[in-house]
Amino acid sequence: MTSEPLSLPAAAEPTAYSRLMRRVLGQKAFVIGIGIVAAIVLIALLAPVLAPHDPYLQNLSARNVPPFWYAKGSWVHPLGTDQLGRDYLSRVIYGARISLLIGISVVIISGLIGTTLGLAAGYFGGKVDMLVTFLVTTRLSMPVILVALAVVAMIGGSLWIVILVLGFLKWDRFAVVMRSATQQVRSLDYVAAAEAAGASTTRIVLGEVLPNIAPHLIVVATLEAASAILLEAALSFLGLGVQPPLPSWGLMISEAKAYMFFSFWLIAIPGTALALLIFAINLAGDGLRDIIAPEGRS
Amino acid sequence: MRNLIKLTTLAAVSALALSAPAFAGKSDNSVVMAYDQAPESVDPFFNNVRIGVIIGQHVWDTLIYRDPITNDYKGQLAKSWKWVDDRTLEVELRQGIKFHNGEEFDADDVVYTLNFVSKPENKVTTQQNVSWIEKAEKLDKYKVRITTKKVFPAAIEYLAGPVVIHPNEYYEKVGPAGQNDKPVGSGPYKVTEYVPGKSIVLETNPDYFADSPKPKPTIGKVEIRFIPDRQTQMAEAISGGVDFIMHVPKDQAEQLEAAPHLQVVSGETMRIVFMQMNSQEGTPAPALKDERVRKAIIHAIDRETMVKEIVGKGSRVINTICFPSQFGCTDHGAPKYPYDPEKAKALLAEAGFPNGLELDIVAYRERNQTEAIIGYLQAVGIKANLRFLQYAAMREQIRGNKAMLTHQTWGSFSVNDVSASTPVYFAMGDDDISRDPEVRDALNKGDNSVDPAVRNASYKEALTRIAEKAYAVPLYSLPVYYVATADLDFRAYPDEMPRFWEMTWKK
Amino acid sequence: MIGYILKRLGLALLVALAVSAIAFFLLRMSGDVAIAIAGEGARQEDIELVRRTYGLDRPLVVQYVEWLWNTLRGDFGTSIYFKTDVATLVFAKLPTTLLLGVLSLGFALLVSIPLGVLAAVYANSWIDRLALAIAVVGQALPNFFFALILVMLFSITLRWLPVSGSKTWANFIMPTIALGYYVAPAFMRLIRAGMIEVLSADYIRTARAKGLPTRKVIFKHALRNAVVPVVALTAVQLGFLLGGSVVIETIFALDGLGYLAYQSITFKDFPVMQVIVLMLSVLYVLLTLAADIANAWLDPRIRVA
Repeated sequence: MTSEPLSLPAAAEPTAYSRLMRRVLGQKAFVIGIGIVAAIVLIALLAPVLAPHDPYLQNLSARNVPPFWYAKGSWVHPLGTDQLGRDYLSRVIYGARISLLIGISVVIISGLIGTTLGLAAGYFGGKVDMLVTFLVTTRLSMPVILVALAVVAMIGGSLWIVILVLGFLKWDRFAVVMRSATQQVRSLDYVAAAEAAGASTTRIVLGEVLPNIAPHLIVVATLEAASAILLEAALSFLGLGVQPPLPSWGLMISEAKAYMFFSFWLIAIPGTALALLIFAINLAGDGLRDIIAPEGRS
Repeated sequence: MRNLIKLTTLAAVSALALSAPAFAGKSDNSVVMAYDQAPESVDPFFNNVRIGVIIGQHVWDTLIYRDPITNDYKGQLAKSWKWVDDRTLEVELRQGIKFHNGEEFDADDVVYTLNFVSKPENKVTTQQNVSWIEKAEKLDKYKVRITTKKVFPAAIEYLAGPVVIHPNEYYEKVGPAGQNDKPVGSGPYKVTEYVPGKSIVLETNPDYFADSPKPKPTIGKVEIRFIPDRQTQMAEAISGGVDFIMHVPKDQAEQLEAAPHLQVVSGETMRIVFMQMNSQEGTPAPALKDERVRKAIIHAIDRETMVKEIVGKGSRVINTICFPSQFGCTDHGAPKYPYDPEKAKALLAEAGFPNGLELDIVAYRERNQTEAIIGYLQAVGIKANLRFLQYAAMREQIRGNKAMLTHQTWGSFSVNDVSASTPVYFAMGDDDISRDPEVRDALNKGDNSVDPAVRNASYKEALTRIAEKAYAVPLYSLPVYYVATADLDFRAYPDEMPRFWEMTWKK
Repeated sequence: MIGYILKRLGLALLVALAVSAIAFFLLRMSGDVAIAIAGEGARQEDIELVRRTYGLDRPLVVQYVEWLWNTLRGDFGTSIYFKTDVATLVFAKLPTTLLLGVLSLGFALLVSIPLGVLAAVYANSWIDRLALAIAVVGQALPNFFFALILVMLFSITLRWLPVSGSKTWANFIMPTIALGYYVAPAFMRLIRAGMIEVLSADYIRTARAKGLPTRKVIFKHALRNAVVPVVALTAVQLGFLLGGSVVIETIFALDGLGYLAYQSITFKDFPVMQVIVLMLSVLYVLLTLAADIANAWLDPRIRVA
């Protein structure tokens, strides 16, 4: 479901993979990825300007209009209309906002939790490290989608509930990566020097350790954002995520799936948008990892 | 538009229909039906979902049978019955009927079942169906006397509907749980396999009594599979994996009409759709206490267009909260609130909401219709936040006085009498969130009188007051679309009951 | 070695315990179990009665300990919705989900091993690039969307495969693909990286220099070594697949644990939900434990660390 399968495997994997990425695609991947992401962000920001119609405005007498490339389509509704006669292009455009909002918000929450835990574990080591490792293992052994589904179903789905639930569930990779990155930084000479000079722990962590591991943080954040967006889409697909009439891409697929046999575009359009965004974020994240992680890191 | 759909559909479907593999159907005299929701129990007294009623009527029998076409009552397990006085019904039973396990049917079964289900501590799911029963007594082996708590002329309707008869010896031994594990009834079909949440297989009861108003079945085997996803059901129908699906949304049914190996049958049902507006004491939306706000909401919704465009064939707009064919249901004299968004805005402004207001709406089915309602409300400045829940959860909200607007539907358990519909929501029971004592008194008067004229007048009074005060938004009746393999000969009834026992194969 | 295993086993037990507690408290705090049990039509006094008779008015901790004790004894409670024994319900569905998990894993390996090997052997060629493209695109496709496309293609257009159910082996093909393709890229990357490393190792170069046929070198020597980390990953991935089966089983109405989980979630069936979450977690813990032990056995250095 998520890109989680990639997270745990082996510490050696990211290195091998970044080497591979560099060799195969070089920086091109990153450029393409970040380009697409930037374009989607721009579309989301400019939605009120770009969208030809109000995404919530329904017109029951102009329902299920096909996109322009069909004989019965028209440029009034370039991507047609949905089952309530709402402009599909406008909904897809506004949908970008929902997906990005979810990706960013979830990453902020889970990033704060995971980074704090990872920093603490890596910096202090010993008992703290053991505790954090235990927490991470426990979290990993809980099936995310199942727990998220159950909790959202209980409390009732809404945009913010989904964000909070995912935020509190998806901090594990931040913690894992932060922990090992902090451990490395901690053993560096200048940290030891700062310690010897009597700097406070807070100062060392915030002033020396954090800036050094920030690049890793960004890589994890991008990949986690993609995974959060996919999870929201899956929850909404099952009807237990964001509620209508919000134009979430997952929800749009969910509402259109009964139409797919005869109006395939209704699921193909939001599905493609979703896949494109995930593809671009992953590409950018992989490229970024490639750029910042020098060879030989283990 | 429609032509295009037809064309693409034809292209898509005709290509595939050529090689339709015969998974089931005419060749082995079996029908596979798919339904989206699994019943919590097969015992008809312990579920309140449509599929539970369907299984119930196939596996069990009732004392009385109502002909779905003529609405005449016929004896099923009963040979005859008569009212001895206003509250006492004497029933003479048919002899020589056996349950699926061989147990003989007699007065003990009837007495046991009625007394068991009418006790509140036995927690029958829908108390409405049984709470009218005071007691049942055995007069002799084939004669029973049923006493109602109050004067209750609709008793016959209930005995012809949800009140099925269990075998007493078996039921006493295994209870509702055992009756769910291994169901035993006396109906035209018996359960041969049941996997909770997955499927149930019904096969013809070879010993079914010939005099029953339900004819002995032609279809040998009916398998009901629980498939939650609508598009999976459709895919199964298109590819021939399933022979019968129901509650297909209008758009999909119209598209499937183009498939040569499928037929689409539709009809009106007794299920009415309406919106409750919580105006009782302590409502979370005090704005709804204002009659003008409630009237504005009714004026805001274009019910005619909804019926025509998204609800479908067989549906009609209703103006009072009951189904037109039910005894006592009328909209004569009740004010009607036509679609008029300008008037709605004016009413809202008058009520002190010139910039609109925000409300929650709870719903549990036909989400596209809820979304359309939300769209209409938005157009007059009411932002409605949807909370789409399971039925049980929605009811919890309503009964806990936490709901504001509700997108309700009610099928009256196919009982053709207003006592089965309006009082549920307006006689100050658990689900009443307007709580007007005047309405309650009028409804009670109607429920507890034997004089048809008095009943009609009282119900009319109640329905008119509900409309005048705009306690709820009457929307429309729901149609039902069935999609079935083209070989199957069947008809749609307003009670949403596919009757496999009378279906046949086309020659 | 024994000491290491015992230590790991202890940790696994602790994790299972923690998960059981979290699952219990999380679910209990997000909804009222008494209302769910009392069912529809229940009046407030019925709900209070349920609360008392089921002991739901006691502190959550007490209830948790009792639930844990019962669960450990094999008494999983009764399903609120289906009103049958949870153990019977869950164990009836478990084999289907396990089968789906194993099949998906098999499918993922079937795709990723040849792709990974080819990508490594022809590193930086168009084959390598193609394999990478497949991986990147695969990971961007939401699996529910992919599942719908499969249905559209194989059931509707080509009519080769049945849409839903779990009656025959053909029912498992689409769910297997829909669930398995998503983990394949991870395997592929791991195998490719491992193969490249091994192929550049001295003993392989020696073997090649000695004139052993390339194919023999690749399959007999290199792959065997490159596959070692894959074994560890396999166990972990199986755990993820089991969790991911909720969506796929619901779409294909495959009568497994995931579908049951979805049903129990929509019906607020607490006892079933708790047991499924716990069961999947324990399975995951056991699988990772097995992987750890296998790793330690394969690579003695870990035991020391």
